[in-house]
Amino acid sequence: MRLGRDEAWAAFAVAVIAFGACLAGWLAGGVTVDIPWAPTLGIRLELELDGLAALYTLLATGIGALVFAYGAAYLPWHLEQERRPASEALRFWPWMVVFMGSMVGLACALDLVLLFVFFDLTAVASYFLIGFDRHRREARGAALMALVVTGVSAVALLIGAVLLYVEYGTFSLPELFERATPGNTTTAAAALIVVAALAKSAQAPFHFWLPRAMEAPTPVSAYLHSAAMVAAGVLVIGRVHPLLEKSDAVLDGMLVVGFVSIVVGGVLALAQDELKQILAYSTISQYGYVVVLYGIGGSAAAGAAALYVVAHAIAKSALFMTAGAVTVATGESRLSRLGGLAREMPLLAAASAVACASVAALPLTLGFFKDEQFFAAASERGGAVRVLAVVAAALTAAYIGRFWLGVFAGRRRAGARGIPGLLVAPVAVLGVVSVAGGIFAGPFVRLARDAASVTHGAAVELAPSYHASATGENLMALVAWVAGALVLVAPRVREPIARAVARAGDVAGPRRLYGLTLLGLSRLSTRLHALEVRDLRTSIAAVFVPTALLVAAGFAVTPTRNSYALGSIERKDLPLLPLLALAIAATFTVARDRGRLRPVLALSVLGFALAGVYAVAAAPDVALVAVLVETILTIVFVGAFSRLPRAPMDDRSAPRRRPHRIRNLVVGVLAGGGAFAAIWASLSRPTPRAVDAAEYIRRAPEAHGTDVVTVILADFRGLDTMVEVTVLLVAVFGVASLLRRGTVW
Amino acid sequence: MSVVFEVVAPRLLGPAVVIALALIVKGYQDTGDGFSAGVIVALAIALRYVVLGVDEAERGLPVLRHAPATAACGLLVALAVGFGPVAAGDPPFTHFPRPGAHVVHLGTLELLTAVAFDIGVFLLVTGALTMVVHHLARLVEASRA
Repeated sequence: MRLGRDEAWAAFAVAVIAFGACLAGWLAGGVTVDIPWAPTLGIRLELELDGLAALYTLLATGIGALVFAYGAAYLPWHLEQERRPASEALRFWPWMVVFMGSMVGLACALDLVLLFVFFDLTAVASYFLIGFDRHRREARGAALMALVVTGVSAVALLIGAVLLYVEYGTFSLPELFERATPGNTTTAAAALIVVAALAKSAQAPFHFWLPRAMEAPTPVSAYLHSAAMVAAGVLVIGRVHPLLEKSDAVLDGMLVVGFVSIVVGGVLALAQDELKQILAYSTISQYGYVVVLYGIGGSAAAGAAALYVVAHAIAKSALFMTAGAVTVATGESRLSRLGGLAREMPLLAAASAVACASVAALPLTLGFFKDEQFFAAASERGGAVRVLAVVAAALTAAYIGRFWLGVFAGRRRAGARGIPGLLVAPVAVLGVVSVAGGIFAGPFVRLARDAASVTHGAAVELAPSYHASATGENLMALVAWVAGALVLVAPRVREPIARAVARAGDVAGPRRLYGLTLLGLSRLSTRLHALEVRDLRTSIAAVFVPTALLVAAGFAVTPTRNSYALGSIERKDLPLLPLLALAIAATFTVARDRGRLRPVLALSVLGFALAGVYAVAAAPDVALVAVLVETILTIVFVGAFSRLPRAPMDDRSAPRRRPHRIRNLVVGVLAGGGAFAAIWASLSRPTPRAVDAAEYIRRAPEAHGTDVVTVILADFRGLDTMVEVTVLLVAVFGVASLLRRGTVW
Repeated sequence: MSVVFEVVAPRLLGPAVVIALALIVKGYQDTGDGFSAGVIVALAIALRYVVLGVDEAERGLPVLRHAPATAACGLLVALAVGFGPVAAGDPPFTHFPRPGAHVVHLGTLELLTAVAFDIGVFLLVTGALTMVVHHLARLVEASRA
């Protein structure tokens, strides 16, 4: 039992130290690291702990620390439920820490390639965390879905980065902000980056991976699916926002996607029965708010978005942990089987009530300010956005009220047993933080203001406060609460609608499209593979047909003038002629002889003849290697053939096939003619690397050598040799494990 | 198979090793390197397997069983020579003595770190190819039985 907990507390310690370091760095005014990584490609390890980075690193490490403490109590229970040994915790905590590290890196990265690397690292870590219960098929499927959806769309981020690099010559974001001008390239790149970010933040139509990811143990959901993984998407949007602002189309697209996500997430959250599913759809909806704010743009919206991320992460993380604690206490995870727990678990009920109030933006919580700022930013944009904002807030109030009331109020349905205090304490801490933020908003506002000034590219004013007056924002909030309460008290109207939407999503939603696409790809791959391995002919064709097509494409686009030059035969070339004649004769034997050993021997004659050509053409090193390789191949062939049965192959037992004489002839002539033309063309051109060769020859004596090839192998290109021999050794160990089940000898 | 072949083939290992050593000793001054030397030794070993069969070949030369260790050793030598300079702050594959410095000769053998790297490659290639031959031969043997 101790084993699992020690790792948890080690992870906790790492998180606390990281939190302290990030806090100190932020208060000290930022930390910058800038080291060349791949200078020839312009990629730098450019990291800065600026305002935006501070916000997300503090969330990742602070909430991380609380979730890790919670996990120290939760994971042993989870492993016991799944009948797994406590030592399995070793497969859990390292990935949690890796995730936290990549999140911190992502928050600080200012280089687009570095951003991509950390972006994918979070996806990889989340794959292992979501699929932690790997004996369960659903968990594996959910992990794969999260990886595929976020990983494939992350490629869009890389493509966008490369587009920008090609156009403006840098991957560095600060430089791009200066150089990029509005135009098609910027729009396309911005759209691609936004697609990757939206998939990560589980926005429609990529939202379907998040509810599936609830297969993960609760600490994973409380961390990744509230404050970290899904936050990574809006973090990227916040980071590249100055680029996005150069394209109105991208901003408007985000506005639409955000509102669709708010509504889809909110309505579907009303239809769910599982606690974590409600919270997952709520997360989709809540990040929709942030995306809307970034779509609105401008200084007020940037500030609101940053404040929103903080308030939501704190509250949602507390609610996920509440769901886990309730499940540990009662053994139930469905709303329909829970109720009336407030009397038995008063502290948990109070703490999660605060968190719910924060999500629903009730006064005296940090969440109130997030909606106040949201309404203020929406009002700037005018009528329709204003109405949608109120609808969004009403939906939020309705589903979060349904969550809390369903668990803690009403008739008692399932009994609760005592649970470790460690499952409640982190929720209580987050509840206290939410209330403290509602009364003394100062530190949170400062954090959000610093973050927003990075997003906006200029200083941002952000001064949330309570106004006990009939301002627009207060009225909108009031209307939203009343509408939310009406939805809440009318289950007869609410439930059929929510269920119908959920069913429509199941039948024709993006998740189904994802499933069909995956199935189609799998079938295509199976069919191609079956075709490829059908017989020797198709196996060879699988290599040569694509090669031929590529070469043919090369012919099609290369100008042919002066490509086919005829040299003259000089006296020193005469020894080549008999060798080449020998090679030709050997080739005919290989093709025509129907025996077993003779074609092999003819093949090696061909090889030796070519080795002779190398020797004559003043390439003794190549000749030596060619002779050795020919010899070893011949020995392997002879060795294998000597073990075959003596009797000749029985042609009669093989099924009769129609002879394809004409087809074979056509294919043979085309292939031979094509190869001949390709080699002729390449020999007609001077080698482009002659300059390098001359340089190597000039400098060989400096390296104390006279044999240039040896010097190149051991010195000039030593690193290449090193990699090649390493690959050789790895391949041999691979052969050993394939042939003899892993015995090395 | 002819008697001559059966008698001569197993005895080719000695000459092969001598040739391989010669390729290494003449080092930097003439054609051939660690890779070629390794292939030559592996060639003689492969020939031995073909003629004698797996059991006979390995019973007569128990040292073959150290092939994996030899290969790993070669990799370590090559890595040490290649990346040792990094510890001293030089780029990888900085060889000593530096260009222009004096080189100690033992006959034709130059005492250069580049030659040590070549010896690592030789050990690795010899060991790795011997392993491949061993596994393939075992496989052929098993399929016959």
